[in-house]
Amino acid sequence: MDAAALDELLGGTAQEREESWRYSRAALRALTQQAFVAADAAAPLPAALLERFEWPETRGRRLVFVNGALCTPRSDATQLAADFAHDATLNLPAGSTLHIVYVNVPGNEPARWQARCEIRVEAGTATIIEQHVGAPGADVFGALASQVRIGADADLLAVTIGDLPDSVSLLRRQQAVVQAGARYRTTHALGGGRLQRFDIGCELAAANARCEMRGVFALRARQHLDIALDVRHAARDSASDVLWRGVADQRARGILRGAITVAPGADGADAQLQTKNLLLSPHAEIDAQPVLEIYADEVKASHGATVGQLDERALFYLRSRGIDAAAARALLIAGFCREAFGGVTDERLRARLDAWLTACLPLAGDAT
Amino acid sequence: MLNIDNLHVRVAGREILKGLTLRVDAGEVHAIMGPNGAGKSTLGNVLAGREGYEVTHGGVAYNGRNLLDLEPEQRAAEGVFLAFQYPVEIPGVNNTYFLKAALNAQRKHRGEAELDSMQFLKLVREKLRVLHISDELLHRAVNAGFSGGEKKRNEIFQMALLEPRLAILDETDSGLDIDALKMVADGVNAMRDAQRAFVVITHYQRLLDYIVPDFVHVMVDGRIVESGDKSLALKLEEHGYAWIAERQVPHQSRAGAV
Repeated sequence: MDAAALDELLGGTAQEREESWRYSRAALRALTQQAFVAADAAAPLPAALLERFEWPETRGRRLVFVNGALCTPRSDATQLAADFAHDATLNLPAGSTLHIVYVNVPGNEPARWQARCEIRVEAGTATIIEQHVGAPGADVFGALASQVRIGADADLLAVTIGDLPDSVSLLRRQQAVVQAGARYRTTHALGGGRLQRFDIGCELAAANARCEMRGVFALRARQHLDIALDVRHAARDSASDVLWRGVADQRARGILRGAITVAPGADGADAQLQTKNLLLSPHAEIDAQPVLEIYADEVKASHGATVGQLDERALFYLRSRGIDAAAARALLIAGFCREAFGGVTDERLRARLDAWLTACLPLAGDAT
Repeated sequence: MLNIDNLHVRVAGREILKGLTLRVDAGEVHAIMGPNGAGKSTLGNVLAGREGYEVTHGGVAYNGRNLLDLEPEQRAAEGVFLAFQYPVEIPGVNNTYFLKAALNAQRKHRGEAELDSMQFLKLVREKLRVLHISDELLHRAVNAGFSGGEKKRNEIFQMALLEPRLAILDETDSGLDIDALKMVADGVNAMRDAQRAFVVITHYQRLLDYIVPDFVHVMVDGRIVESGDKSLALKLEEHGYAWIAERQVPHQSRAGAV
């Protein structure tokens, strides 16, 4: 892939990427040494993929994108599909739920796609479920840029579920702007992929804007995931509460850089950032780096990052009740991750997240 | 059922058990008392199979098998249960899910059919009723945010559900108020029968007012130095451990030989 194509995909220049891509530069270089063709937006969807996102509970509320392009026949949220076709913008009415699916379908040679999307919630509470799936095969390299705008006193609940095959790489840049008294509640469940990079920006733009972010990543094999959070408190009495859980097994690599900035004048801000991580193999690596920059007064801020291993006492406790070592490990790892799913109260969605956990969880105790 | 013979155990390079001998037969309740640091909890952990405990001498036979050869989960399936002194908090793991996984793992090991959700819940309700425990504990994560008393109740509830052959209670009474203490005792007493044995490790005689033991042993410095019937516990209560610490260690303290 040539430099210009890469800059276009990543939305910037190589120079700008220098610092924030520190941990992922080598992985990106290895991936982009290949030549990529434009991915086929009309690629047929294998039945096994359809099963993974055609949930009965979101029938009539689904938008499906194939290799970055809207797939009209599969998208049964017809009004929103028409709106999107018009200006790539989705206005979510109060009380609505949208299930938006990005499907990666490989061709005969490495392929790339890019897409953008704007999501707006002007009033009331809306729910958006964003799902990333793919079929194994030749490399697929996707780039998705999204804007989220939450109007005054509105409330957006966003759940992202990603379980990608090891041949899919995905770059996501999301920028959210949260207005006065509005709430942005997100839960991310990220797994799989060859190289995944997420830039998650959130601007608390007006007084009493709130962001509650929960996230889990679960990696194995040689999966590489790099998350760059950038939460900005730009107004008074804004609040952010960020909690991530990461698990890496085998030779996987997880990176979470969590930056929180409290701008001048954003007095009374409350910023909490916590990340806890589990390393399940001596060859896995997790880099967790919270960065707090505060330029305002009377700010409540705390951050913490830990990287550890499974609690031997808990393991023994489970085994002493008859659960074998492998099952006990699996139970503990799932429990560790599940703590970040507390913000999702809808039972069907919780079941989807549990299924994701089961599918993605590293097989701890594997001889690696 | 349980035959501990001249057991020596090192923990982190230090010898904690220094020749402990104890025999427990089915149907019996043994109380083990002793001052802090005597090695009481070490005994419980060694029997349950915790890592980091090095047996340097002696052995443990359980129903004719070498208990020390078994993994912790195999011991559990064979009927060994340890009620922990400090039950571990496991956030994110639902108590009911955990109990069902444990019970079914044990049943599978024994070649018994696993219980489905309906059968399991029926059993749970039955046990809750006997123990007078609210089902609220079941909906929470394992021990997470439980009070000290709730954790101990949960241990006893697990014991009732798993129906072990040999239950070891490691200071289950510590930190309990009188109501919780009675609940623990009721749980044990309801399960006492000719096929089952209990080893009750405790600091205080108080619990033994409610769980009346067949035998009382006093442990000092990694050995059993005195064995007797329940009156021994009363004597300890009256005189403290000082008098017993001065006693000579019997050459062979065959537990149960009263």
